[in-house]
Amino acid sequence: MNSAPETHPPKPYWNPYVAGFLLGLVLLASFVVMGRGLGASGAFGSVTAVAMHAVAPAHVQNNPFYSEYFGDGSSNPLKDWLVFEVLGVCVGGLISGALANRISVKIEKGPHVSNGWRLVGAFVGGAMMMIGAKLALGCTSGQALTGGAVLNLGSWAFMICVFAGAYALAYFFRRQWL
Amino acid sequence: MTELFTLKHNPLVDPAMHIWAWQIPVYLFLGGLVAGLMILSGYHIIRDRYDTDRPHGHYVTAPMLSVALLSLGMLALFFDLEHKIEVWRLYMTFEVTSPMSWGSWILLLVYPVLIASALLNFQEAQPRLAARYPTVAGVAEAMRSRPGVASLIGFANIALGAGLGIYTGILLSSLAARPLWSSALLGPLFLFSGLSTGAATLHMLTHIEKGEDNSYGDFLVASMVGWIRPKHGEHEGAVKLAHADNGFLTIELSILMLFLINLSGSSAAGHDAAALLLTGPYAAVFWVFVVGSGLVIPLILQGLQAANRIRPTMIPALLVLVGGLVLRFVLVYAGQASHWPRIAGF
Amino acid sequence: MIAPFFKFGMFGTEASLVVAFVIGIGFGFMLERAGFGNARKLAAQFYFQDLRVLKVMFMAIITAMVGLYALSRVGFLDLSKVYLVPTLLVPDIVGGLLLGMGFVIGGYCPGTSCVSASTGRVDGMVYVAGMFAGLVGFGEVYPKIKSFATMTPMGHLTIAKYFDIPYGLLVFAVVVMALGAFVAAEWAERKFGDGSAGMTGGLLESTRRLTPVRILALGLLVLGLFALVGGDPYRGNTVSIDPRALALSAGRGVVKVSPGDLADSIVKGTEEFRIIDLRPAAAYATYHIPTAENIPLAALAPDSVSSDDKVVLYSDSDMQAAQAWFILRASGDRAAYILAGGLDAWKDQVLYPVRPAKPTGLEAAAFEKRAAVSRYLGGTPRAAGASSAQPVEPAPALITPVAPPSAPDMARPKKRAAREGC
Repeated sequence: MNSAPETHPPKPYWNPYVAGFLLGLVLLASFVVMGRGLGASGAFGSVTAVAMHAVAPAHVQNNPFYSEYFGDGSSNPLKDWLVFEVLGVCVGGLISGALANRISVKIEKGPHVSNGWRLVGAFVGGAMMMIGAKLALGCTSGQALTGGAVLNLGSWAFMICVFAGAYALAYFFRRQWL
Repeated sequence: MTELFTLKHNPLVDPAMHIWAWQIPVYLFLGGLVAGLMILSGYHIIRDRYDTDRPHGHYVTAPMLSVALLSLGMLALFFDLEHKIEVWRLYMTFEVTSPMSWGSWILLLVYPVLIASALLNFQEAQPRLAARYPTVAGVAEAMRSRPGVASLIGFANIALGAGLGIYTGILLSSLAARPLWSSALLGPLFLFSGLSTGAATLHMLTHIEKGEDNSYGDFLVASMVGWIRPKHGEHEGAVKLAHADNGFLTIELSILMLFLINLSGSSAAGHDAAALLLTGPYAAVFWVFVVGSGLVIPLILQGLQAANRIRPTMIPALLVLVGGLVLRFVLVYAGQASHWPRIAGF
Repeated sequence: MIAPFFKFGMFGTEASLVVAFVIGIGFGFMLERAGFGNARKLAAQFYFQDLRVLKVMFMAIITAMVGLYALSRVGFLDLSKVYLVPTLLVPDIVGGLLLGMGFVIGGYCPGTSCVSASTGRVDGMVYVAGMFAGLVGFGEVYPKIKSFATMTPMGHLTIAKYFDIPYGLLVFAVVVMALGAFVAAEWAERKFGDGSAGMTGGLLESTRRLTPVRILALGLLVLGLFALVGGDPYRGNTVSIDPRALALSAGRGVVKVSPGDLADSIVKGTEEFRIIDLRPAAAYATYHIPTAENIPLAALAPDSVSSDDKVVLYSDSDMQAAQAWFILRASGDRAAYILAGGLDAWKDQVLYPVRPAKPTGLEAAAFEKRAAVSRYLGGTPRAAGASSAQPVEPAPALITPVAPPSAPDMARPKKRAAREGC
């Protein structure tokens, strides 16, 4: 950056146990206050449904996947718990990143892969992740973390499969990360 | 809008529909933002009238951006007008008691002042362009060499900016049929919100820079890197703007609180109107976007930036801009939903 | 018991959104602090170099788990009011595998990608765009794969319930398992990692001191031991009845659904209601309203219906349905309705509607609509005249009609259930 002196180097990440413990307290607070856990993927569904509705309203009404986000039409699908929670996640990440000087525009990747391939990987991975999350009614936050803490049967089956799927493919994508 | 204006002056007429859609809040936001930018650049122009050595990065960009944003806002307003061809009639008369009339005349004066402000620093800020257009540069030079002209333009900026900022609030509060809007505090509230968004815009302008750094390889990434860090040499300016913005945000927050407390305690209708924002259907958006991410979080982050505790980024400025826009939306929508109790016989 | 606060009505939906934002800030903050805004840190998990994902996730899970257990055992929290995502075993497994693959290809999961994008990572932003693309794709094919996506439904089910293990024992086992996994993870990091991760601040740190992390682990273990002997946290589920609220909603008549509305809802396939037949199984086998499920009144327990379902209760007449309504409402505030007039009214008004004697144009049109619904549901509209006298000629005996063409299957979890999850 124009050889500007970096007066504020990024701070190191927290100890994972401490971060995990505090994350567990946030999750517990969510259970105590709301009676539900954390989530993420559902909010993207609401936003997509609204966007699709703006483009092709008739199509959305006939599609059971989209139409269920609108319910009986009495409430705005964007005024949804998960949408506000995910907004909070973005702002929370922003605050934490700003306080630790970690906000910077860059691409996280291993040294042996080009930016282009990394971004293609991110796009494809995001699409696969969302399809998986919609099938399983939740992602790593809503199923694994939340369901794990309440000993939900499906969540633990899901969690085991997440690790299984990731480890199964890890070898083939090692150049992207290592 | 004309019919709404005449109708809503009469508290006995209570149309319960939502007539104003996105156009009016967008116009109020952009108008306020331009007002804030004008006051800030007016201050800069007067301060630097003898001093030509300061970095002039945004001195031309800011007025030109103001012209663009204000035109965008006027376009939004134009979309809202019922009788688009009749616009010229606003300029055939001047009504001292009508904020609409005041506003339309202020808007007419704003443009020349903005262009004059851009010209004033044309030579220093855009030397390449100045070399290509010697005539324009000549006019600019003539203006620059007379500190009196600079002062005049500066004061005109401040006066018109303040007028424009207050007018965006008064426009609502003159519509007495809506209890949420019937407060004299709306003018100052919108003025200070405009100032904070204006400072945030300037703050962002100091961050924006062409992607000269190619270490990231990709043009996209490189140019985005440029957006997020302060420009070399303008770090001091960014800190000052963070300070200024925090001052404006604090005042805005206080006025907002005063406004709501005042409203809650005024009458049953006022209480209900304030409740729309505090606990009613607009509460989530109000608390989250306006108060939370629009005022409190940027205040803390900019405070830390100003104290040099964390690396300055344009994130707080971005949050302030979003918060300012949502404030207009919430006030306009909730205002239309608020109403006086119906009177028997009507 | 006062928690969960929201489910006990301490604040409304609007305030819950503000709560959501605040909790989200906490969530996003912790994710970023843990290093989850960085895809390389996340992906290192799958090469045994930095097992942060496992440590953070299991630490969070066991913390919340023992916390929930302790809070419900001391009577502060009603665990039965905490939402469980319904288990759909096969979709959960397939979805998990897909999600895991997406994780290693893309480097994030939905929550972490938000943090990554908001801290400026371009790959995180592209990942978010990919998620939207995936959603649109899923939405387009969903009607075709719906039967797969809803197969093997097992309802709201905990592991303890499924395997019939004491809940407390399971809590303890999970704590022990997680602590064991942490030790194994640190061992793996030493073996495979480059030495940057897990050397300090871990459980295996080469010091004899009781480091903060060890104290944390010990504390969780102690709470786990407490769970081992503490019994079932679901016990002591007290019921609070607000007679005035019950009387009010009964008096206002808002608790009834007319047979016509219910029929329309079935025909449209909106799956708005979960329909429950309260009659004995034999009567249910002879005839039941399409998509209805059979829970005889004697077998109706508050937990047989999730508090998220909109339930319509019916029996031969209103009486039993009203009793069932009271049972459900007494166990918490939920959307329960009675089919007005019971199955008799269903027969008269929906299955065998009677054409008015001298219909006006409007009446005739309305009847045609009713008749179409009737045929769809396997009934037969009746001609005029028969109904002019009261009591009406008894409707034909009910037999199970042929299943309507594409009647929505009843097993699908309710839409609201899916929305409360992730």
